[in-house]
Amino acid sequence: MIPKALAVSLTGICGPDGVIADRDRLLVYESDALTAYRHRPGAVVLPRTTDEVRRAVQAITRHGLPIVPRGAGTGLSGGAVPLGGAVVIGTARMNRILSIDAANRRAVLQPGVINAELSAAAAAHGLYYAPDPSSQTACTIGGNVAENSGGPHCLKYGVTSRYVTGLTVVLADGSVVRLGGQGREAPGYDLVGLFVGSEGCFGIATEVEVGLLPVPEGVRTLLGIFDRIEDAGRAVSDIVSAGLLPAAMEIIDGPTIRAVEDSVFAAGYPTDAEAALVIEFDGLEAGLDAEAARAAEFCRRAGAREVRSAKDEEERLALWKGRKKAFGAMGRIAPDLLVQDATVPRTTLPAILKGISEIGKRYGLVVANVFHAGDGNLHPNILFDRRDEDELERVERASKEIMQICVDSGGTITGEHGVGLDKKHHMPLIYGEAELDTMWGIRRVFDPGDVLNPGKVLPEETDPAARAGWGDGAVGEDLAAAPAPA
Amino acid sequence: MSEAALAAGIAPDRVLLPESAEEVQAVVLEAGEAGTRLLPAGRGTWLGAGGWGVDPGRGDPDGEGQPGGGGEPGSDGRPGGGTDSPRIVSTERLAAVHHYEPADLTLTAGAGIGLDHLARVLEPNGQWLPFDGPACDTGTLGAAVASGVSGPLSARYGATRDNVLGLEVVTGDGRILRIGGRVVKNVAGYDLVRLFTGSRGSLGVITRVSVRLFPRPESDVTLLFGGDAAGAVAAARRVCTHEVPVAAVEVIEGDEGGVGRAAAVAVRLLGGVDEVDESRARIVAAAGAEPSAALEGGESRAFHGRRIGWEAGAAVVARLAALPDRLAETLECARAVAALAGGATSADALQGVVRVKGSCPGGDLAALAEGLLRGRREMAAAGGTLTLSQAPAEVAARVGWTGGGGEEGGLTSRIKALFDPDSTLAPSCP
Repeated sequence: MIPKALAVSLTGICGPDGVIADRDRLLVYESDALTAYRHRPGAVVLPRTTDEVRRAVQAITRHGLPIVPRGAGTGLSGGAVPLGGAVVIGTARMNRILSIDAANRRAVLQPGVINAELSAAAAAHGLYYAPDPSSQTACTIGGNVAENSGGPHCLKYGVTSRYVTGLTVVLADGSVVRLGGQGREAPGYDLVGLFVGSEGCFGIATEVEVGLLPVPEGVRTLLGIFDRIEDAGRAVSDIVSAGLLPAAMEIIDGPTIRAVEDSVFAAGYPTDAEAALVIEFDGLEAGLDAEAARAAEFCRRAGAREVRSAKDEEERLALWKGRKKAFGAMGRIAPDLLVQDATVPRTTLPAILKGISEIGKRYGLVVANVFHAGDGNLHPNILFDRRDEDELERVERASKEIMQICVDSGGTITGEHGVGLDKKHHMPLIYGEAELDTMWGIRRVFDPGDVLNPGKVLPEETDPAARAGWGDGAVGEDLAAAPAPA
Repeated sequence: MSEAALAAGIAPDRVLLPESAEEVQAVVLEAGEAGTRLLPAGRGTWLGAGGWGVDPGRGDPDGEGQPGGGGEPGSDGRPGGGTDSPRIVSTERLAAVHHYEPADLTLTAGAGIGLDHLARVLEPNGQWLPFDGPACDTGTLGAAVASGVSGPLSARYGATRDNVLGLEVVTGDGRILRIGGRVVKNVAGYDLVRLFTGSRGSLGVITRVSVRLFPRPESDVTLLFGGDAAGAVAAARRVCTHEVPVAAVEVIEGDEGGVGRAAAVAVRLLGGVDEVDESRARIVAAAGAEPSAALEGGESRAFHGRRIGWEAGAAVVARLAALPDRLAETLECARAVAALAGGATSADALQGVVRVKGSCPGGDLAALAEGLLRGRREMAAAGGTLTLSQAPAEVAARVGWTGGGGEEGGLTSRIKALFDPDSTLAPSCP
């Protein structure tokens, strides 16, 4: 709990309904969507304006408490877990779209605006917001900025950082800075690009300027059914090397198909198939049929037993259903789920998929894959029951081996979920001491006192300050008490 | 580099040509100890824009040399003229292709590889790196990344910074960093790749670059619509907001439009054959007139290639930017500058950017400087910017390259201090 004096000042800033301090209501703020990590916050404040955020930050830091910014809590890396009794600054009430400038295809919004709501509002102008994380009906733009979120259609359109052109940010010392804005030509360092993906460690974005795109005139969606997942991976590689650029290419593997078909989300995928590949093209109507036909041919040549195509919007949604509901369906068949997020070079997909399947078999675990195949961004889901200690240990070992083969292939540990709490100890897999030192340095350019989201992204043992004996260890101790990665 | 350096009046013994990141590191460490300044460069032909040390009036403005847009020349307390010239560290010998897997659409190469050479490496696989910023025809990959300036195709393919996946850099204090990676989606750790893209040689020497590639579109067509200046801007804006997505829209004034009119709107269509044919028909219908000319395939590519090298050899180069719907005002402001510089304008209508070049033929440099400052004030009042990347020394000294930073609370100087604490490299920007 926070000191009473702080509760009083926060209530003065955000109003009585803008401060949550009672234990029961704090429960929901203990974790994000990766529920293996739970820590109760000291309190939650819900400001409405940049100025309220600024004053809240100053009040909290005066009491020496850390701060964790939070959007909708849909993150999958433990990034919004409040460590060390941190006070959560939630953006839920900063949910206004401030302007949509159709002539320049851009919008300015508060960080708590929900991703899909922006596209819905922009639709009146024939525009939409391209990055589409699977949680887009719940996740916020501020959270997307913090995580540099992706989504299925980022294959063609790129991730969040391509679309964020300006930010108003409250820094840890309570100062308000404006980065970029009015398009992308601001001279100087790309501080907007540096801020996007900083996982709440650099500041709290209180206004976000984004670029919008015209809604594509036409869409074609295909579903390839494969008996071997490696064949689906090969089809993806072949389509890309032939010069086709689909808007999305997603693979759902056999275990996932069966989970989906056994659930209320049944999408009509054949349950004896080992992979389903959803391919989507968008753009001008002219030429879409030809592109779809070429992609279908690549699927057949790679060994697809069947290629379906959607004739209308209803059928299109049906083809997507198995992909979109995959996580929900898997929740039914196992009490716990560990989702990974490595990205590998696309051409290594067939070998990596085979490797993942072998690792799963070796440890006697069910690994279900649903992923952005076009980007090489894998999401192996390991299904388990945390009450089974032996299984839990096997999960940890399998998980580490999977990450290692992905890194060895030239890949990285996270493509879109972020490092957060979950993957920070894996950072040394891809970065050496010089790089990690530099990241600590950049973090302290923005936040010299380690106020914002401490204990995330960078492992404590790599902190040059801690090595020199400067660290006070307060957050570190708390971390040691945190549950081990699931 | 040596030839370019000679052309820019730089003694060859001031040019260092390391052959590995470790050699760059040794050069940087030695310079730090000796208190010598180092200006990172590629082929070294845009050294004038480095911010200090090299006579800005002498180099070719072709995007080389990681132009240092930063602050007033000499604003770091060091002399800005040619008397205490820095050494130039060129990455020209770091030009190998380290990794190229066509099916991954990614490539890793030494920063000193020429973009012309790179295009020839990619061509047999039907791929390209759609960098079309100033001088991306003959400049190096490292210089394109360091300058971070994008061209008209960035609306379709993303800006330079959107297509750089990873970098190897040697920081101003001599650390070798390998940041980012070579996969297209990567959010592991803070995005230092974006910080270095566009940092203009002020934080480190870029030694190796991984980029995202694209398939060459099947069809490449440029429609040229001639008209008067005002009509051209209005027509360009209509294309920009039209339902048919186009790859680039430029407004070119004077003879360079090649249609014998006061101005030309160049609309570039890229994509599959069916898609481009359909786009063409609909754009022409919307224009209400047949284009004055239509360039196809190689002709279209050659036309845009000339636009990339448009500033080459100019004594004055500036870039004005504001929101795209202010194109008419931005262009008017640019014309005023161009008139004083004895030059021309070229507008990227999709981005709202207008480039200005001028030869400055015996002109009144004081008047030019005043005109640039006036233009910058006008642009700033409309939320825009005017940056200078090439100018005679006295103009650059009076005007400054960027006009200073925004409301970023000193972050820029703290970042500069983190990477280059002794200011061994080019000054920070803005």
